[in-house]
Amino acid sequence: MSRKVIPFVVAFVLICLVMAVSALFAFSGLAKAEKFGSDVAWSQRYDTAESMKVINLMGDDQDELFIQNTQNVTIFDGSGNTLFSKEYQYPKTTLGDINNDSREDIVVFYLGDLGYSVDVIDNGQVTTIAESLSVGLPARVAVLRFTSGPQIVLGDTGGGLQSLSLSGQPLWSYSVGGEEIRGLDDARINGEVHLAAASHDGSVVVLDEDGQAVWETDQESLRRMRAFDFNSDGNSEILTGGEFGAFVAYSATDGTQLYTQGMGQAVSEIREVELNGEPSSREFVVGGKDGGVWAYSFQNGVVDQMWTGSLSDKVNEISGIDVDGDGAEEAVLGDDSGVVAVFTGDGTRNNLANHSTGITRIDVGRLNGERYVVIADYNDVQVNKVIFNSIPGFQYMPLIVGVIVSAVILIIAGILASIPQKPALKVSFQDKSKESLEAERRMLKESIADVERLRKSGEVTGDAYLARLKRLRGDLAENETAFKAAGFPIKVETIQCPNCGGTLELGMDKCEYCGQVLLS
Amino acid sequence: MEAILCGGGILLVVVLIIFFYLLNTARKRVTETTSFGKKQLLPVYISLADKPTSIIQGFNKLRYDVQKTEKAGDKWRWVPMLIFFAGIALMLIDGILLLLGYLSYIFSIGGVALWIAAIVMARGLRKSDSYDFSARYNGTRDILYTLRDDLRPGTTYLGHLDLTGSLLPTKVARSANDAQGRTTEYFRDEWLALKAKLYDGNILRVSGIQKSKKRKSYWKRSRISGKMKSKPEKFKGTAHDLKVRIVANPEVYKVAKTSPEFKQGLNIGKFTISQLNTEGGMISFVANSPFEEVEYENILQVLKSAYTLLQRKAA
Repeated sequence: MSRKVIPFVVAFVLICLVMAVSALFAFSGLAKAEKFGSDVAWSQRYDTAESMKVINLMGDDQDELFIQNTQNVTIFDGSGNTLFSKEYQYPKTTLGDINNDSREDIVVFYLGDLGYSVDVIDNGQVTTIAESLSVGLPARVAVLRFTSGPQIVLGDTGGGLQSLSLSGQPLWSYSVGGEEIRGLDDARINGEVHLAAASHDGSVVVLDEDGQAVWETDQESLRRMRAFDFNSDGNSEILTGGEFGAFVAYSATDGTQLYTQGMGQAVSEIREVELNGEPSSREFVVGGKDGGVWAYSFQNGVVDQMWTGSLSDKVNEISGIDVDGDGAEEAVLGDDSGVVAVFTGDGTRNNLANHSTGITRIDVGRLNGERYVVIADYNDVQVNKVIFNSIPGFQYMPLIVGVIVSAVILIIAGILASIPQKPALKVSFQDKSKESLEAERRMLKESIADVERLRKSGEVTGDAYLARLKRLRGDLAENETAFKAAGFPIKVETIQCPNCGGTLELGMDKCEYCGQVLLS
Repeated sequence: MEAILCGGGILLVVVLIIFFYLLNTARKRVTETTSFGKKQLLPVYISLADKPTSIIQGFNKLRYDVQKTEKAGDKWRWVPMLIFFAGIALMLIDGILLLLGYLSYIFSIGGVALWIAAIVMARGLRKSDSYDFSARYNGTRDILYTLRDDLRPGTTYLGHLDLTGSLLPTKVARSANDAQGRTTEYFRDEWLALKAKLYDGNILRVSGIQKSKKRKSYWKRSRISGKMKSKPEKFKGTAHDLKVRIVANPEVYKVAKTSPEFKQGLNIGKFTISQLNTEGGMISFVANSPFEEVEYENILQVLKSAYTLLQRKAA
């Protein structure tokens, strides 16, 4: 192939490669210019929120912002005005429809003047339903709608569980390990609601409505437990995150482990987020104490890791919001250093405005008819409007870049093809007449004799002798070839070593250059 | 933060290396030198077996072809640098997008692709570069040109011009160890071999031989620290031998034993006649020169002086 054509062939192959990669980027959606931003709608002073939810609590068909910290329970309206506020000691709260008015009520488990008590707040009206309970310091509270009727389950810092009827009558009690209850959630078995509970010492238990254990297990010290029915088969999956990084998925039915993985750091939060917008699969995001972020997909009973990411500090809260309106939620995460980041379905991270202190809670909902992300940090609660921007048509930018690169490759090929080949630096100026060839042959033989004489006299030894001899014999072989090419008769006196290609005198039985034995 | 700084530092070093590599390509190649500080020259080997005119034309054509390739490359020397800056411009688009809050890497990938293309082109252009021709190349051409009319009609020059280098491993004639076990290599580079039948019936054989000496590198224990230290190889000197044999045509010449213009020990130009033998109707002599380079005029001057030993017979 001509050396002028080769650069173009190589360029063509490279251009195909470049354009293929460009097309891959363009049509796979890998290339995008998107940014997420946020505008603060309003902000209120409220420190260290432990629980927060955008929900209708006041019966006005508008959602309010419920928020609770270690000493207070407050309800803000959509504009940030306080609708309700009450001080408590060590309150823990949950939401549930206690009085069957189809609206959630706030259940507060706290230390009151008469001991551990439970209040129900309905439309701003506080009703104490239980007092002087024999339980420990509040850790968790949940409202569970068992088949036989709703129950309020209280969890304390000693691992104790106490079930109450909606009127506040104690029903049953149970002890889950000896440390603080870290998870209290409803888990379904064959469609029936059960209670999944876990304590810090690693005990995990599923109880029925009578407080009887369906199964119980132990694992490493535990930070977080949540229950989801990922495949909507009426049987929940229980996810636990360990103090030393064990992430385990149990079947709520019998406690068998469906999935386990070491995360390398304590698991600080687990939340369900519909990351891919595909209803047949459910996704959840796990946050770690050292900032690790993992997204998983649960489909057909199989847990698959989708992507991993990271924040700079402990992940305190995870929430899901469909920012760009594509039907899939983005995961909004807040960490202990005040960073709030939006992770898209493919794991791309976009930061929102940082907070000066750590994030404690994040929730998403409609306030005054607008969709907001509510972020609580150690000082304030902020209601943010999340803004999504993208450059239209940017996904085709890789094709433009590919065309630019291809054009440059083509130009380079053209330039390199235009440069003439470097001439050979071993050249022979040879007259083809018989006399000239014979004279050259004589000269070469004289030179070979000279080299032999120099070797005998010791002036030249070893490699230098062989190198010179090899070159002269090579010239002699070329001379023979020239004789043959010109059609002059010649008695061939050289042979080529089949091993090293060096020229030897005819009749030699061993190559002087490489030692090959010759059979001729 | 440390990881970002470290990564950024490495990236900066890589970019600077690419930049200076392309800048060196853009500028005309600076003459390179060997480890002994000698100028790198074009390694040419020419077999001579042709008429003077053809050989001279061949010498000129080879020089022209090398220069043509070099000039063709010279035209485009700045192009890789321009492509490098085009790559930076592409990357800047990503930078601007980043400033606007969009995270994009597409233009940066394109920029890196352009940098790779620039490096490939620079390598291609560097291949068209050549070292300078040795002075011996022109000198030999001038000797052949000067002697062209003295050549018997219809005959050719025979021999070779070997400018591949005098210190090649294949040119080590012998080596010797001293009392301390250090190895000294003796090089014998017969860079010129020329045979010609002359117009007057004489046969002229000329060999230009450069003899060099080099001590190989060795390890030595330091007397002060006791550590083993590597001593570099050392160039110990070079000299030139000009071996000439003139077989006189007995019908035309008789050979004198000596002449005032040519005798043993006589200095002619850069050469000193060290051996002279006029037995058997031929003149064989060796002229030495302590110089690394001998000009072609010196060689021709020695040949001219040697001819004074030939006395034309009466017709």
